[in-house]
Amino acid sequence: MLRRAALVALFIGLGLAWGSSFAQISEGSKLVVYTYESFVAWGPAKFIKTEFEKQHPGIEVEFVATGPSRAMFARLVNERISGGTPADLFLGEVNDVPRAKKFGLFTPLKPEEIPNLRSVPKDLLLDPDLTIVPYEHGFITLVYDSTKLKPEELPKTFEDLTKSQYQKKLIVQNALTSSVGQSFLFWTIYNYGEGRYLDYWRRLLPSILTIQPGWSAAYKLFTKGEAPMIVSFSTDECFDARYKPLLLNSQGYRTIFGASVIKGTDNPKLAREFINFLLSPEVQEKLPDTEVMFPANSQAKIPDQWRTCAVIPPNPVIIPLEYVAENADRWLDEWARLVVTGR
Amino acid sequence: MRRWGGEQLLLALPMLFLVVFFYGPIANLLREGLTKDGAFSLEFLWTVLTDDYFRYVILFTLWQALLSTLASIALGLPLAFILTHYDFPLKRVVRALTIVPFVLPAITVALGFALLFGRNGYLNQFLMNLFGLSEPPLPIMYSLTGIVLAHAFYNAPIITRTVHAAWERLDPRYEESARALGASRFFVFKDITLPMILPGLLSGAALVFIFCFLSFPIVLSVGGGRFSTIEVEIYTRVVTRLDPQLVNYKIGAALALVGLVLSLAVTYLYLRLQGGLARQTEQLRPRSTAPLFAGVRDLLYPTKLLLWLYVLCSVILFVGPVLAIVVDSLREETAEGARWTLRWYSYIFTPNYEALVGDSPLRAIINSLSFGLGATAIAVPLGLIFAYVIARLRWAGRRLFDTLLMAPLATSSIVLAFALLRAFNAPPLRLVGSSTAVIIAHAVIIFPFIVRALVPILESLDVRLTEMARSLGAGRFRALREIELPLVATGLIAGAVFAFALSLGEMSATLMLARPGLSTMPVAVYRFLSQHSLGAPSAMSVVMIAVSAIAFILLERWGERALRF
Repeated sequence: MLRRAALVALFIGLGLAWGSSFAQISEGSKLVVYTYESFVAWGPAKFIKTEFEKQHPGIEVEFVATGPSRAMFARLVNERISGGTPADLFLGEVNDVPRAKKFGLFTPLKPEEIPNLRSVPKDLLLDPDLTIVPYEHGFITLVYDSTKLKPEELPKTFEDLTKSQYQKKLIVQNALTSSVGQSFLFWTIYNYGEGRYLDYWRRLLPSILTIQPGWSAAYKLFTKGEAPMIVSFSTDECFDARYKPLLLNSQGYRTIFGASVIKGTDNPKLAREFINFLLSPEVQEKLPDTEVMFPANSQAKIPDQWRTCAVIPPNPVIIPLEYVAENADRWLDEWARLVVTGR
Repeated sequence: MRRWGGEQLLLALPMLFLVVFFYGPIANLLREGLTKDGAFSLEFLWTVLTDDYFRYVILFTLWQALLSTLASIALGLPLAFILTHYDFPLKRVVRALTIVPFVLPAITVALGFALLFGRNGYLNQFLMNLFGLSEPPLPIMYSLTGIVLAHAFYNAPIITRTVHAAWERLDPRYEESARALGASRFFVFKDITLPMILPGLLSGAALVFIFCFLSFPIVLSVGGGRFSTIEVEIYTRVVTRLDPQLVNYKIGAALALVGLVLSLAVTYLYLRLQGGLARQTEQLRPRSTAPLFAGVRDLLYPTKLLLWLYVLCSVILFVGPVLAIVVDSLREETAEGARWTLRWYSYIFTPNYEALVGDSPLRAIINSLSFGLGATAIAVPLGLIFAYVIARLRWAGRRLFDTLLMAPLATSSIVLAFALLRAFNAPPLRLVGSSTAVIIAHAVIIFPFIVRALVPILESLDVRLTEMARSLGAGRFRALREIELPLVATGLIAGAVFAFALSLGEMSATLMLARPGLSTMPVAVYRFLSQHSLGAPSAMSVVMIAVSAIAFILLERWGERALRF
């Protein structure tokens, strides 16, 4: 009886699982794309897969997205140091991979290899060697709940935000685990400089209700009324008219997403064609609705309602990538020590 | 001594399995923390042990784990008492359901807690309305209190289950005799009951301590970024702050080594304690139970009143967050206000849904169940063999061996995930992206529970029974099957169900090893959260709760029937 039961369980378990799939390592006919989960979860991934496969018969596109872009990068590095990676392409936030060059994981590209790059504005091209090709961008700003705060009650500067009237009124993301949180930290460093940003954060902490590990969980708490302000995107109003952007110091911190070809891919030509397709107007015009981001291609049409709901801050700012690559580790370390120990 | 050969052979296969799929990969990764430029170096370990910040993090990790364990005992013990002494409708179902919290993804629990205990949560809103307050009176969320309560939500059921199992086996005549001889209730509990249930309590507490010690998504979400534990540090260093020289990676590995040594030390301590406390109990008469609710006059007895107060508190803590999730999955915020809706359920079950490339929620349910069954099917024989060896053989160093067997349980989930990724990525084990990899990973993670559930029972088993069977001509296997297995059946089922639950809830290794098409239920919850569909993760969580609850109830029933003949 027992033996039979154990055998049945064994067969159910193994049979079902074994049958489903077996180890698949990158082959010539397959393009494996590592990306962050939201690109797959509500982004344009499905459209891209369908269309690209239609244009390239016999080719299969596989998206692997088991975490935010930093986690995917960690997976890439771990695979590279153990036995090689099946990935051909990597899509992620540029501040998450500022040191990608030093890892030597990405291939530099030439502008003529990506024809659609002609329509991408120069200020988005953060990497002169083109190891990262930008395909969409946006602005990190504060967003407030207009049913909870009146316009005259809003902070206008970073300094305002530290006032006692905003005690526990702000939700931010963890700079160690979230791209948005990291951008917010870099933004304060942009304004206060290396010398004074920690002092600013010391004064800001009482205004912060919670530092959440990711944007999604933080946004959920915001919509549930836990706090009236959150660090988010300048395009949030397009999604829900109650939530409006709030520009501190008239700024917004740039967030740019880029695509890279993995060094050693057996499909370099196909990978470049994929990036070019990503930059084509037909994909780019999908980005506002699916990613809630601005397309990098200036030829791409933007939905009409975006003219009113998607705010482009008067002063978009960003710390240069090579400066970030040099210092990010120390900044994150100092920041973590401050918020955890309070010192 | 003659039979040593056979036993060693019996041990060789599972040991090989563990070396290949656990010790090897883990050692390979931890080695990173002990090398610099390819040579042995204590630099990173030294940094971790001497730096003020790391010391703060290590001490905080121990402190929150201690508080969480105490809270779990405080909340889990009374329920064990109720389950042992009282009868109430659906008691078996309630007992089976106590394990449900265990499978919930941390993001679901964090959300349930926020909806219930948050500043704008039901409890604070209720109290503010009741007393006309302008500020939320209970600052539970985003604090150490929140972390401790969330850990208790997960882990109090462990205390309940281990203590309840010990209490049921305790012969009530000991207590009855003491009472008859004039001892007060308190002294009976202190001098008779407590010492007898202590092994169960301690083993549960040690498990809880280790789980809380290693917990990290709860710390990150319920506590928030102002709290950091060893596990959080490992995660941020190994995953989010990689540098080309791999300095953070190596610091992470060194931290993992410190964490592993600490949690193994706890394991060893508890095995020693348990060994010293183990008693042979032969229960001859089942315990009589009284109805929990005997009428309104219950409220006149202070002890009964206290019990009801506990029931109220535990309903708020254990049922509240789950109920809040259920409500959230049925609500929709619109410009005109919130309203009831089923759209999140139709949303997650729409087959041609634009998102989730290659993974439908239905697929995730099937994957979860088949991975869980597959892993349990590997873990049960594995655990049985080890438990048998530990309980039956008297050899020096068996406690140490036992401790080492518990290592998968005491290992950081992130480290295990990366170790297996690295191991499964290199020939000859190129298994990354296959369901085999996920099932093996789960089996490695869960088999210690089978061992833990069986060893105490096998140790307290009367050896004479087996000897009698053998002397009457039964073979070794037949004695095992017909004498020992039926006697340990309850423990084996409890362990298997627990192991199955652990597999259902596992996320780190699954995420790391899975490719599209291999998502499990917690992964689907996590996926839905990263969409702009606010009620969908809650709806998926409710589906997950329902599927696991049914699975646990069926598994317990089916298991009892299969083993009780």
